[in-house]
Amino acid sequence: MSENRSTTTVNQEARDILLSIRDLTVSFPIRDDEPEIRETILDHVSFDIPRGKVVGVVGESGSGKSMTSLAIMGLLRETARIETGSIDFDGIELVGLDEKTYRGLRGDELSMIFQEPMTSLNPVMKIGPQVEETLQLHTKFSDAEIHKRAREALENVGLEDVDEIINQYPHQLSGGQRQRVMIAQAMVNRPQLLIADEATTALDTIVQARILDLLREIHEKSGVSILFISHDLNVIRRIADEVVVMYHGQVVESGTTSEVLDHPKEAYTKTLVQHAPDVDTLASGHPILRMEHVNIFYDDGFSLFKKREKEQIVKDLTLTMYKGEILGVVGESGSGKSTIAKVLTGLNTCYDGLITFAEDRPQMVFQDPMGSLNPAHKIGWIMTEALRGQKLSRAEKKEKVIAMLHAVGLEESFYDRMPRQLSGGQRQRISIGLCLLTGCGFLIADEAVSALDVTVQSQILELLLDLHKKHGLSILFISHDLNLVRHFCHRVAVLKDGELVECASAEELYRDPKSDYTKALLAASVAKG
Amino acid sequence: MNYIVKKVLTLIITVLAITILTFVTFTVIPGDAAVAKAGVDASDEQLEALREEMGLNDSIWTRYTRWIGGALKGDFGYSYQYNNVTVSYLIKTRLPVTLMLAGLSLLLIIVFSIPLSLLAVKFRGGWIDHVISGANQVAMAIPSFFMGILITFVFGLVLKWFQPGNFPSPSENFWGSVGYLMFPALTVAIPKIAMTVKFLRSSIEKETKEDYVRTAKSKGNDEQRILYVHVLRAALIPVITFIALVLAEIMAGSIVAEQVFTLNGIGRLLITSISARDYPVVEAIVVYLTSVVVVINTLVDILYQLIDPRVRVS
Repeated sequence: MSENRSTTTVNQEARDILLSIRDLTVSFPIRDDEPEIRETILDHVSFDIPRGKVVGVVGESGSGKSMTSLAIMGLLRETARIETGSIDFDGIELVGLDEKTYRGLRGDELSMIFQEPMTSLNPVMKIGPQVEETLQLHTKFSDAEIHKRAREALENVGLEDVDEIINQYPHQLSGGQRQRVMIAQAMVNRPQLLIADEATTALDTIVQARILDLLREIHEKSGVSILFISHDLNVIRRIADEVVVMYHGQVVESGTTSEVLDHPKEAYTKTLVQHAPDVDTLASGHPILRMEHVNIFYDDGFSLFKKREKEQIVKDLTLTMYKGEILGVVGESGSGKSTIAKVLTGLNTCYDGLITFAEDRPQMVFQDPMGSLNPAHKIGWIMTEALRGQKLSRAEKKEKVIAMLHAVGLEESFYDRMPRQLSGGQRQRISIGLCLLTGCGFLIADEAVSALDVTVQSQILELLLDLHKKHGLSILFISHDLNLVRHFCHRVAVLKDGELVECASAEELYRDPKSDYTKALLAASVAKG
Repeated sequence: MNYIVKKVLTLIITVLAITILTFVTFTVIPGDAAVAKAGVDASDEQLEALREEMGLNDSIWTRYTRWIGGALKGDFGYSYQYNNVTVSYLIKTRLPVTLMLAGLSLLLIIVFSIPLSLLAVKFRGGWIDHVISGANQVAMAIPSFFMGILITFVFGLVLKWFQPGNFPSPSENFWGSVGYLMFPALTVAIPKIAMTVKFLRSSIEKETKEDYVRTAKSKGNDEQRILYVHVLRAALIPVITFIALVLAEIMAGSIVAEQVFTLNGIGRLLITSISARDYPVVEAIVVYLTSVVVVINTLVDILYQLIDPRVRVS
């Protein structure tokens, strides 16, 4: 436990505390087959949730923020062990509470919403029954009453066409609607504490902003206390009254939101607050890619009974990219940004219009580095694959691969590791190294850092910038995150429903957006200042 | 409903394609039906006359249209190995036993594998789990002819629950025949039950790790309710495909079980017809088997529509 941890300035005696965590220490076995060799995941964590307040917990993954929420809910995995500490919820000690009493609290007094609303809802159960279930478990209402209350709960989270939605399945709803359903089923019993674990992370910027507004509104109307967990400082800033900063299972700093985020005392909080990388190099003026009046279609594929159908995804796109430029492409999901990447890399050939490359086709860095690295092979093998077209001896290839490992900031020992042994950031470094090994100077990064933590995210962006400066790398940077694009790119193209809304230098676009859509995006973006 | 029409159309096209394929195959592979019928001692003139009579000298297309014309009316011609017996009669007499055996086996598979899987999951890592997975290994490893012999020995000779080799005719003594068929059905079902339990158990295990199970817990569900209300339905979806494959297999007639328990089913008919080069029978059985597989697959697709909303076509 660090001694400089507790910096709360609010007088604790005067506050009405709903949940109080004291000295909570949780350990996990490092390997499943050796239960006694344990790792401390939470290290003497202490903080309070005052009644009727929104407390934000911020930190990167592995900082223990999700573990804290699962510990409160009593949903830690069986192998986890609470070593010391207490969790006092409105006078009830949750540590060591018997399962039956705990079940009575879950969904009734304590509720939780999760990051991924698609997988967190039962895929084969209709929405109505899923919301009603919470009531069935905890109340003795009649079926009619349960039905009525579930409907109200769905209406209260701003869903329209509730009559239709209760008979639909999760996959028929949009991401935002699904998260609203999650909130409805968590709030239907009017709990005292709502825990939202990265509840807006998987959503688009605009949807994210709407869900945050909704949570804030629900909080103000019902007075429910919220524990809001996120790695995104801007989100925390927007919703939380108080902030707890966690790092490596410890509470680094806590206090009111403005105190902690505007005047951070701890070094870690300071780096967290100023994580954005800077840009200072400029583009050359030689076009590396020209797209003229390009229309891209989604091919429905061959079916025996259906005429081939083409759905147009991108409409009449004209865009030039220069050598050595970092060009951002932003838009909500479905705006066609990934489709463009697919056409440029040759994965989709269903387009018309003119596309010319000054050099080779670009190489692609994918969003999910785990899914895009062959899990059955060592890193060395995977990277050597990229050199297959080149006539080099085995030793020369190995030398090149190791040099590339160094170039992307990894040690030589990674040569013999398997993809699963690497962290997300390390895997993304490998992906970037793979692209560069082919000798290509043009990368497409499709949401390449979206799945990563803030600090890792900025490290990867730094790496890209570094490579960009050293080798004059051109990068087409596709992202839904306006904040990232702003700090990282020279120019930004905004897409909406497959059409180019506007394209301008990053600075200009943010200072003086021309189109209403860009204005809306910017307003909705949870950026501050 | 448009979906079902499409499915049925696909089904018809598939079966037609298979009939052409079998017809061509039997024309191409060596062996002379006339020789098979008349015997090797027949003179060339006799054989030629027989070929003419059987229509073997016509072009393949003429023969195919003649055959398919008859087949559509349920007339598959006469068997070569039995004199003056129609193919349809042969199949009609053999089919009930195979269908009853298949039905009983399927019933046993469903009745045993679901509770066993649930037990194994509920007592995960406990002795019940170990006993079940141990028994599974054994059941899968035993060859089915030996399983048949074992069952005949235990239930037929030691316990005397049935009289081996004395199968009562279903039309005369229906329940008696069902009672007899329980034992060959067991022979067919035991290894399939083992496979289904193994499959369903891991499917349930996989589902319990899904995010929505955590959500269900966070709502205050107990383990029992999570298993029955949330997990089981989703876990059964992939298992249905598996059971359908098994069903198609046992509908084809379990040759081993029919042989060991001396049942006159489709499986045995197929074996004797192949050795006797009785092509009309073999062709008819091939049509039957492909239709079974295609029909079952179509039914599974339709069933999927009902239980898995994610594949429902709007």
